[in-house]
Amino acid sequence: MKRLLFFALAAGAAAHAQRPSIDIRDARVQAYPIALAPSSGAPEGADVLEVLASDFDRSGLFRLLDPRSFLADPAKEGSSASTIDFSKWTAIGAQALVKSVAKVEGDTVKVEFRLFDVPHAAELLRGEYSAPRAGLRQIAHRFGDDVVRSFTQDPGVFQTRIAYVRETENGKQIVVSDADGYGPQQITSGSINLLPSWMPDGKSLAFTSFREGGGAHLFQVDLSTRAVQPLVKMGDFATGAVFSPDGIRFAFSSSKEENTDIWISPIEGGILRRVTDSRGIDISASWSPDGRRIAFVSDRAGTPQIYTMAMDGSDVRRITFQGNYNQEPAWSPKGDLIAFSGRDEHRVFDLYTVNVQTGKVTRLTQNEGTNEKPSWAPNGRLIVYSSTRSGKKQLWTILPDGSNARQVTNEQRGASDPAWGPLPRR
Amino acid sequence: MTDASQTVYRSLLGGDPRIGWFGSGLALAIALHVAVVAAAFFLPRFLDRPQPLRKPVIAHLVALGKPRDPRLMPRKESEARPLASSVASKPGPTASTGPAREPSRQELMERALAGAARATKNEKPDPERAGQETGSPTGTAATAEEGEKYFGEVEDRIHQNYVVPSVISERERMYLSATVVIYIGKDGTILKHVMTRPSGNSFIDQALVLALQRTRLPAPPPELASLVREGVEINFKP
Repeated sequence: MKRLLFFALAAGAAAHAQRPSIDIRDARVQAYPIALAPSSGAPEGADVLEVLASDFDRSGLFRLLDPRSFLADPAKEGSSASTIDFSKWTAIGAQALVKSVAKVEGDTVKVEFRLFDVPHAAELLRGEYSAPRAGLRQIAHRFGDDVVRSFTQDPGVFQTRIAYVRETENGKQIVVSDADGYGPQQITSGSINLLPSWMPDGKSLAFTSFREGGGAHLFQVDLSTRAVQPLVKMGDFATGAVFSPDGIRFAFSSSKEENTDIWISPIEGGILRRVTDSRGIDISASWSPDGRRIAFVSDRAGTPQIYTMAMDGSDVRRITFQGNYNQEPAWSPKGDLIAFSGRDEHRVFDLYTVNVQTGKVTRLTQNEGTNEKPSWAPNGRLIVYSSTRSGKKQLWTILPDGSNARQVTNEQRGASDPAWGPLPRR
Repeated sequence: MTDASQTVYRSLLGGDPRIGWFGSGLALAIALHVAVVAAAFFLPRFLDRPQPLRKPVIAHLVALGKPRDPRLMPRKESEARPLASSVASKPGPTASTGPAREPSRQELMERALAGAARATKNEKPDPERAGQETGSPTGTAATAEEGEKYFGEVEDRIHQNYVVPSVISERERMYLSATVVIYIGKDGTILKHVMTRPSGNSFIDQALVLALQRTRLPAPPPELASLVREGVEINFKP
């Protein structure tokens, strides 16, 4: 009895002591299992589903279940919550289910989509999406974006566009395509054109070009009219224009006054202001999402490294300290990371991110060719970049954790310098 | 004088000739009780046992590999090599002995997680994987940080199973956290877990419970066995 009392009291006293505590961070993210049931109705529905499957796969958000594993008979099952046997979808591991019915009226394709939460046998989303037959892919992109927003509350990027540089017999030309690489349209012709950059409204691009001789200078092209206007011509060269998020000014690099520095100009023209004045080379500006700071590359400490500064050039902070050649910073839309390309000890360029607050560098690519020029999707969930992993330089997308790399372009002579466009305005 | 002696004899602290030796025995019993209570309060503070950890342990099991020059660009973070025990823990072919049973949602989620784990292991092993020559094949960190080795192993084993669905909103993934207390047996078995502070998101809470159910921990060293049996607080942070 006395021994029992002793242990009870001893245990009580020990329970007051603080427990060991372990912090676990950085969960692995698992793609959400989703089933795309075969479309019923017009055969165009199958084409739309194929585009949707490609979008979902590239997003990294969803894991598409193999249609060969489906147990339900789509012809008998129907597409409403009352007729679907959800147990047949839970049995194959589906967490979400997409049902669709397609029809064609004249030249217009219409698809009624429904999204279901399988475990709860509940309809999450329903809508009819239509487009001319030639724009059939846009039906999938629009529904796909609505699904992403339904789950994540973030906008989807399937309807966005990408600008890049196409290698041609006549030099390097600016091209704009859908975010999945389809529908490429060449915007420039002749000469060497580089480093496209989007105006925040998505209506025009700035780019660097040798088109007028006498070195590289900055131009702007209206995407609806293809009209090209000079943007900046100064010094030996001006290159790498990037617009501020509010679209009222842009930053660029110029070699004026015996050194290469970052400059800022109002969009409507006027007084140009030099915001760096180090003895080193300062190039490759990238705005923070709030427009208050600029990331850039400088070799002021001996090797090219990533720095940030306030928009007026004050408060300069060095961000990268590893490696001896870091370049092409791209500030993430959420503001926490800067993606960049860096050269490793094997003298190969790969993609990395650096956390702006902690300085932690994370490697995204490795042992797969040369990987350069990252550009963030406007929702911050994907990065487009150029890579030689499949042979010629092509555009690829990758998740910010370095997984789910997918090829975007298949240009005959190669593609480079991607710039992901803004979200479409509604 | 006689009266005073009489008073003492009548007190419970002395032997009363009228009740014999029973009075002194009673006094001794009371003294022993007081001693036991005092010992219960004070002895644990002086016993030779490890001091409870006051700070959160942020420890990682160091990977077996080559130490990497911190001036170089980092290697890509790679998964730990699969544990033999995790293979052995797969359920046996019991399903074939009985009638087919419809899997529960939890089992389906586990299958999906297992599928995701397999998918992530398709990457080629990195021959230049950073670590320490004295590290563990199952380690995931390049360098050691603060903390006990055993708690580092606990952290790594649970972390390997800490998988959340991609469709959680970015905002929730960045800010939600939860706390679970696990009770670890002498052989490393998680005897039970109690979610003391849920995240509020059912996707995340379910993922935490699954992570603990899938985790096989090593047996704690003898000096920690009693401590971890009383509970280890696991703080899941984004």
